[in-house]
Amino acid sequence: MKIIAIVGTNSTKSTNRQLLQYMKVHFETKADIELVEIKDIPVFNKPADKKVPDLVLEIADKIKEADGVIIGTPEYDHSIPAVLMNALAWLSYGIFPLLGKPVMITGASYGTLGSSRAQLQLRQILNAPEIKANVLADEFLLSHSLQAFDSDGNLVDLETIQKLDAIFDDFRLFVKITGKLSNAQELLHKEAENFDWETLS
Amino acid sequence: MKFVGLIGSNADQSYNRMLLQYIRKQFKIKFELELLEINDVPMFNQDDNWQDSFQLRLIYNKVTRADGVIIATPEHNHTITAALKSVLEWLSYDVHPFDSKPVMIVGASYYDQGTSRAQVHLRKILEAPGVNAYTLPGNEFLLGKAKEAFDENGDIINAGTVTFLEQCLDNFVKYVEVVSPLKKPMPIEPEDLDCNHPIPTSVTEVDPDDPDWVEKVAKLTNAVSGNTYVKLDHGILTVDQINMFLKSMPFELTYADDNNQFLYYNNAHQDPDTMFAKRVPEQSGNRLSTVHNSLPPQRMKNVEWVIGTLRNGNQEYVRTLIPNPNPNILNTHNYQAMYYDDGSYAGINEIVFNFKPWLDWYLKTTGQQLVGGKFSANVDANSSASTSNSGASPTADATSGASSH
Repeated sequence: MKIIAIVGTNSTKSTNRQLLQYMKVHFETKADIELVEIKDIPVFNKPADKKVPDLVLEIADKIKEADGVIIGTPEYDHSIPAVLMNALAWLSYGIFPLLGKPVMITGASYGTLGSSRAQLQLRQILNAPEIKANVLADEFLLSHSLQAFDSDGNLVDLETIQKLDAIFDDFRLFVKITGKLSNAQELLHKEAENFDWETLS
Repeated sequence: MKFVGLIGSNADQSYNRMLLQYIRKQFKIKFELELLEINDVPMFNQDDNWQDSFQLRLIYNKVTRADGVIIATPEHNHTITAALKSVLEWLSYDVHPFDSKPVMIVGASYYDQGTSRAQVHLRKILEAPGVNAYTLPGNEFLLGKAKEAFDENGDIINAGTVTFLEQCLDNFVKYVEVVSPLKKPMPIEPEDLDCNHPIPTSVTEVDPDDPDWVEKVAKLTNAVSGNTYVKLDHGILTVDQINMFLKSMPFELTYADDNNQFLYYNNAHQDPDTMFAKRVPEQSGNRLSTVHNSLPPQRMKNVEWVIGTLRNGNQEYVRTLIPNPNPNILNTHNYQAMYYDDGSYAGINEIVFNFKPWLDWYLKTTGQQLVGGKFSANVDANSSASTSNSGASPTADATSGASSH
């Protein structure tokens, strides 16, 4: 099973990246997880010519080919970082790689709340007409993330590991189930493609 | 009231920009609205420095000094634009200009939802601890079907929509009045009145207190004079014409730069003893500490307070009335902050003038008269300061010498 893990931050030091790196190693017998960085994507400015940067097209291709996507998001000001919003804006601008794609959300934060509010906002964004991903209901929130890893980058707390294991097992099932949800798929794709803000009435 | 309108879209064509332009034009009697673009702001990154972006510095300085901010947000993917979020992240990380700032949200969208979800997100973002704005409750102004909403002059067509928008804005103005006492003034840093922090325009080869400073610096810099043309913003004048222009101002004008160096005054032709704020030609170029060298320490503190409060953006001007026994003189000193292109403090434009002839003219022209009250022409300088800040009393004149009073 091929999974693309989007690092939802451009910060060089990030426990969200660390969590995804841990998952890549920890789940290597269960899935092939590839981390994707979004920090070099230019700022989305809704260009009239609808031209999407090559870097975004490369990421879109990876997502299209993958069976599922993990998005690791920090929380800035009660919401997801601008850089992640930016990536999602490009990834839904005349291209629809996330449509119907199974998505699991993870989030790490230094404090107690573990990016809970950002995750809720991300769910709403992923449900927008030009994205329409299939998001796993389970939440994985890693609080006090600076203390969560040992020096080898492994999660320390056993209960946290068990919870992550369980959610990831559910996600693998979810990927398979979602693959069978094909009835509305074509319709949604058509809707997204025909979604033209200029001709809305 | 002075508001800043933040255009939450970085796209070339934006109905949110049109909406703010319309508000600026339609309601210009109610408040002054300056529109700010966000299209050159880089993506927020914790590892970078916000001050590297001109546009961010401009937004920071303007928001800091504004009485309130109106944010117009589009909706992308059920939320605000990444560009707007990036601006808010920058301005909630190292610096916090939105702290305790009254904010109103408006939004325009193509579809009939009119940015409803984006506005809910924006509210949450604005109340995050690092942002900490005071967002106007209720009064949600959602402009749906924006494509059909404006006529060719950029005016909103539907009269009911205009009425509702006006109500929302009136409520915001009231809200700003109610909330502004909660404003946290920026701390006032100590001022260097000895000019030890040269700025790019400082001429360091000549000592500021040199009595021949003007001549020596003119030589060093090859300063133009006489009939040489100078290109100004916006016009062309010769140096002679600039001098005539400034000399004819019915004020005593003084220029002190942001290194606290007294560079210029416009009344060198006048007998210093007849000025409201005495200046002598040898003072041009002086350190402000030298200009004020006869002041007692407490008054020096007041000078520092005036400069500090203009520099940090707490106020754009400080105004004070200097007591004068002559009833025909209302000796008014106005210290107006000057700004660089990025909105940061560039120095003081001091305007000293007798307000009495203007007042008399106004009363005569309008057939009105003063009815007295607790204020009189000889008002005490301490109570006359029009500023609302408590703490240090802004009574000292920042650039004129003690001998002037």
